[in-house]
Amino acid sequence: MSQWVVKGIRTGIKTTAYPREAESASGVTPGLPVGADLGAQAAALTERCPTHALEQTDGRISVDYRRCVHCFRCARGAARPLAWQPGYEWAGSHGESGLRDGFGGAFRRSIHIIVVDAGDCGACLNEVKQLNNPYYNMHRLGFFITPTPRHADVLLVVGPVTDHMRVALKKVYDAMPTPKRVVAAGACALSGGVFAESFVCAKGVGEVLPVDVEVPGNPPPPLAILHGLLVAVGRRPPVALVSGPSGPRR
Amino acid sequence: MATPALIALLFAACAAGILLCLAVRPAQQGTVLAWTGCVAALAATAAGAAVLLSGEGFTRVLWSLPGLTTLTLRLDSLSAVFVLVTGLVLFPASIYAAGELRGESLRGRERAFTVMLLALYASIVLILIAGDALLFLLAWEVMSILCYLLVLSGRDEENGRQIGSGYLLLAMGEAGTLAAALGFLLLALDAKSVEFGALRSAATGLGANARWAVFLLTFFGFGVKAGLVPVNSWLQRAYAAAPRAFAPVLAGATLNLGLYGILRVNADLLPAAHASTGLVALVVGTVSALIGILYATTDNDLKAMLAHSSIENVGIVVAGSGAGMVFHAAHLPALTTIAFVASLYHLLNHSLYKTLLFVGVGAVETRTGTRDMDRLGGLIKAMPLAALAFLAGSLSIAGLPPFNGFVSEWLTLQTMLRAAELSSTGAKIVFALCGAGLALTAALAVTCFVKVFAMSFLGMRRLDEERRVSEAGPGALAAMGILAVLCLASGVLPTYVIPMLDPASTQLAGASASDVLVPAFFASSPAHASLPPMFAAEFHDLGAQVGQDVLPGRGLVVLHRGGEANPVVFAMSSSYMAVALIALLALTYVVLRLWLTRGRRLSRRERWDGGLRSLLPEMTYTATGFSNPVRVIFDAIFRPTTVEDTRETVAEHFRNAIRREKEHVHLVDRVVFQPVRSTALIFARILAAMHHGRINAYVTYAFLALLIVFALLPTS
Amino acid sequence: MDCAQLKDLIETAWPGLAHCRFDAAGRVNEVKCERSALAELCSRLFHEWGFGFAGLVVEEGAEAWHLRYVFYGERDAGWAHVLTEAPLADRIFPSIAVGSKIFAADWHEREAEDLFGVHFAGHPRLGDFVLHDDAWQENVEPMRRGFDAAAAMHNRLPDADWRPRRVVRESGAFVMPVGPKFSGVTESVHFQLETVGEDVIRSWTRLFYKWRAVEKLAESKSPDGALLLAERFAATTAFAHGLAFCQAVEAIGGASVPPRARLLRVFLAELERLRQHAGAIQEICESTALVVANSQAGLLEEDLLRVSGELTGHRYLFGMLAPGGLLGDLPTEACRKAFRDAKDAVSGLDDLERRLTVSSSFLDRIEEVGIIWLKTARAYSLVGPVARASGLARDLRRAQPYSGYESFEFDVPVEEEGDGYARLRVLFAEARQSLRIMEQAAAALKGGDVYEPVNLRAGATLGWAEAPRGATFHWVRLDDGGRIARYRIVTPSFANWHSFHLGAEKFAFQDFPIILSTFDLSAAENDR
Repeated sequence: MSQWVVKGIRTGIKTTAYPREAESASGVTPGLPVGADLGAQAAALTERCPTHALEQTDGRISVDYRRCVHCFRCARGAARPLAWQPGYEWAGSHGESGLRDGFGGAFRRSIHIIVVDAGDCGACLNEVKQLNNPYYNMHRLGFFITPTPRHADVLLVVGPVTDHMRVALKKVYDAMPTPKRVVAAGACALSGGVFAESFVCAKGVGEVLPVDVEVPGNPPPPLAILHGLLVAVGRRPPVALVSGPSGPRR
Repeated sequence: MATPALIALLFAACAAGILLCLAVRPAQQGTVLAWTGCVAALAATAAGAAVLLSGEGFTRVLWSLPGLTTLTLRLDSLSAVFVLVTGLVLFPASIYAAGELRGESLRGRERAFTVMLLALYASIVLILIAGDALLFLLAWEVMSILCYLLVLSGRDEENGRQIGSGYLLLAMGEAGTLAAALGFLLLALDAKSVEFGALRSAATGLGANARWAVFLLTFFGFGVKAGLVPVNSWLQRAYAAAPRAFAPVLAGATLNLGLYGILRVNADLLPAAHASTGLVALVVGTVSALIGILYATTDNDLKAMLAHSSIENVGIVVAGSGAGMVFHAAHLPALTTIAFVASLYHLLNHSLYKTLLFVGVGAVETRTGTRDMDRLGGLIKAMPLAALAFLAGSLSIAGLPPFNGFVSEWLTLQTMLRAAELSSTGAKIVFALCGAGLALTAALAVTCFVKVFAMSFLGMRRLDEERRVSEAGPGALAAMGILAVLCLASGVLPTYVIPMLDPASTQLAGASASDVLVPAFFASSPAHASLPPMFAAEFHDLGAQVGQDVLPGRGLVVLHRGGEANPVVFAMSSSYMAVALIALLALTYVVLRLWLTRGRRLSRRERWDGGLRSLLPEMTYTATGFSNPVRVIFDAIFRPTTVEDTRETVAEHFRNAIRREKEHVHLVDRVVFQPVRSTALIFARILAAMHHGRINAYVTYAFLALLIVFALLPTS
Repeated sequence: MDCAQLKDLIETAWPGLAHCRFDAAGRVNEVKCERSALAELCSRLFHEWGFGFAGLVVEEGAEAWHLRYVFYGERDAGWAHVLTEAPLADRIFPSIAVGSKIFAADWHEREAEDLFGVHFAGHPRLGDFVLHDDAWQENVEPMRRGFDAAAAMHNRLPDADWRPRRVVRESGAFVMPVGPKFSGVTESVHFQLETVGEDVIRSWTRLFYKWRAVEKLAESKSPDGALLLAERFAATTAFAHGLAFCQAVEAIGGASVPPRARLLRVFLAELERLRQHAGAIQEICESTALVVANSQAGLLEEDLLRVSGELTGHRYLFGMLAPGGLLGDLPTEACRKAFRDAKDAVSGLDDLERRLTVSSSFLDRIEEVGIIWLKTARAYSLVGPVARASGLARDLRRAQPYSGYESFEFDVPVEEEGDGYARLRVLFAEARQSLRIMEQAAAALKGGDVYEPVNLRAGATLGWAEAPRGATFHWVRLDDGGRIARYRIVTPSFANWHSFHLGAEKFAFQDFPIILSTFDLSAAENDR
């Protein structure tokens, strides 16, 4: 068994410096499109987006991140593609009131998270799973995953909330003691994603539960989810969920 | 009131009850039973207490049969303990039985039942106060037959099983009585009469072989009634078959008679001269305890489980008595008296909590219609008071402070540890092994009763929706309440119980248990410097001086005084434990509710079930599942055989049913009785060969027999 | 067995009842068969001639039901599609799960009954499969034309008295429910483990908690739109599903994908396989709580995710495929760098395998646990590493090559024991083979286009790929406007979940999560 100890020590420290410093390794994020002024070609480009994440007024395109499913149609094969930003701090707060009150100082560095799969495709869940690998190691930030809602402070939901999972999701939420926060991660959880029109899917977690933090992406990379959790505990400010020349949009 | 008068009152009450029974209508039988039974029980309690408190018994000649013998009554300290325990048990048991008379199982037979039960009370007490072997055996026979009849009187059990259990009770009971009678006979060979005093003086002259014979005959003979392994086969069946009204009496009162018989002969009349008899008792006791609790833990029928548990507790009492006999043979009076006090205390405790549990089980069965733990559950909501009392009984039998089971088991285990003072290494090894065995028993007992309480009262309700379950009847609740209070009292106040039991153990051991275990207060002035200073200091530190001026009796700490090097060998105070427990619970409540969560709303949410739409009763642990690990670990003892293991499929793929059934035969039946039975059958077949119906051969047999008789006849 | 011979064999055995049409180019035998001969014909194909069962496609025509049973054999045997029809009003078909003892068809028939209302005579377990009985009443039939979703959702009558079927009849037996929310980070699946307290005597899996009705959603979409669904319904193997779908659309349109695109497709498919296998290995190490191995495997999976992200812009390879080729080109040098990074990862995997092989506490937990025998694998037509670990050597890249796999040199690792350790060994070995293929693909890259537009016309065909979890089959029918008329997805998890309960039974509770992890199953893939 000592071989494991030696191997572990020899591997060294691989953990990202985020949130202390930005993570600059490549392949950690797919990025998100940035709204731009494209003039006459804006209309055509807006048509290419399958989930209507792009909206244009007078040639100025704004991107609703909650709907972006990373199909890259606005970047590849388009006459005038949109530029994509390589960030990962995407988490925003839902609604006017922002984050609900009650999550005091004690939760900033120590929370228990319960993860509910409400119909996700597997990628969001896989990205959440990566948070426990040595690269991201969310334990160092005081974030722990718990299987029982009785111990949970934060409910992390992925997936568009299929009809068959509604009851289970609500039960998890009801079983959590207050104060609690809900983080919805992934395009499906925010807007239904590509499944929004399915008759057995809700258009996101917001239809079923009050959501505090929304993390766009399809799937959001682990760093984005981490950012979302930091926003949920108040260690990072929420970010706008819409990008572009036009103002914020519901 | 004078003790003889109390005894007379007891018999008078029973007689009055019987007469009234025959006179009144069935509907009023319950009242008759309740009143007369309670009066009789109270009389017994008072008589026992009077003798123990005053230290004087009485002897009366009952009937003098000219030329044969005299029938004597003798109530000494040993009998008094048993009479007291019997009284304490019969009081609530009568109340409960009276209530049950209106139930289904005894409808139409109330009169017979009441008469037999009151007669049984009388016969039990007669056994306990018999002063000579003849009266003893006569009363014993009456008691046996009454037990048999009472077991068969109910309608609860499936007919075939009930008759079979009754028959086995009678058969094994008679075999035991026969053995005990033989034992008495051997004891009386050189005696002037069969009176106990004469037997006691004759016993000193017995040779080693005769002593062993008497010991074995009476130990296993009375052991049948007590339920010792390997003569316990009747007990689990009879207790399960007995009607609800009778089972508490069977377990709480008649069980003790076996123990009384063992103690009377082997500790009083014929005290052990050699350690080996005591070691045999110790080993048999431990083995009984282990086997009893193993079967109790894995049984799902509430009554059968309690029966097995009785075997376990009897094993503990006998183990303690065995230890006492060993110490007596080794001339260690202090340890002897501790051992006997421990076993008598356990006997008292067992009677109290076993009766409580049987009444509880009876109440559950009345309300729910089933005894199967796999089908019960969630009863605490429907029967909260019964559940509370049952919880008290469960905590007591599991040996948890501050209830009484803890004190007697603790004392018994401490006695085992005192084997260090024996000289023989062999004896020490046996003590060590038996001590370990008893500790294992205690652990399994906790498992068993956690299972019992949880599966019956906690969790989800598994009964049919339609069945309405209401709180137990007033008779059951009153009985359970009284017994629960007594359990708690005898647990919290051991320093008052031990002096109560002291006269009996003094009689058996020659040293006073109170002096050894519950030393008196001493004034702190140097005038009372007879006590070594180290001891006095420890006495103080342990809080044994507390209450010197306030409390009657000798303080609240049970402690065993040792020698110079070890002034206090062991000490315990369940009184302080009780206080500490209450304080801790109160403190926890205060801190939690009044400080940590002040200003917070307490909201009650649904139980978390993994997100299912609804958690169904079949998704909760069953009693079988809970005790399965024990079944698997001790597989060598249980040796289940597979009766069925089939799979029903459609097209080899869709499974409709997986049927599995296992059965097991009790270890004792497998190891002892089945071989005996097969051997007996073989002999019977051989002898049957002689019965072929040919009259010529029969005439030849007769002729041969005559020849043999004439050949053996001494010519005068 | 040669696919050309099959036609004669069938037509002589069932004269008048079966008509066979042989397509030499696709090596497909299309057998039109009467309902009365269906069970026997399928039985012969499956049991005697050794075909595997790919899936059942149900299509509602204008006047009739069209059922297509897809069988596939080794290379020379090709495909056999058994078609049978019945008028819309009379929708009773024989059950080949019962009648032909093709257990693999069991779940296909149940799904068809739930979603279409087609009844399979003799099948004892129809109902409560996709549409949970405690959420839906009977006769909902959402896949039918003219299904009114709003009305269906509005008029629901869930069964409040729903109880699970109990199979174990032993006194004291009870049901241990697991999920749908259980453990730490797991998919939503419900298990019911019947037990008397120690071992699991019978295990029952309840899936379709994540049913998103993708097949219904795809109807009337353009292939481009449906591709998004194909990639995203089971995104941990997005590329493989997207590839199978694109190949189906390309086959309908008669398009030929440019060679550079084919090579890049193979490269990316193998990169995805490598990454998914690393993830599966990580799950196994996590389930056995061997913490350092778990961390090491986690590092390797993340490395491969980053390689994928760096190369294509997306960690799960979204947005690369398009019907007709690739949506965008990848620089050859970037591919070669990705290969080198992947090689480092694989050497990390090799090191991990060496260490795991000598960790006896780890091996104790996965050896001889969760065994699937060869005959079970065959009967359930299992696919992927699970099947190959039980000795069933089926790999579509070998048996029915696509996208140029026939020109690559690689081994298909097969093990015999069928236990958790065998499956783990197969995962490691396949990772090495994937790297080998990636090397060949990267070396063979030449210049050229990566996209050739597809002529979208009416037609229907099967597309397939060997996804990381096993064979996946996508049946696509386009209407005259080039839009999706029917999209049927048969996933490897659908086949393998079916047999999971057999692996879990007769073991203790504590082994359950470990056995589950060794199967590498995806509920999202199964549920669609």
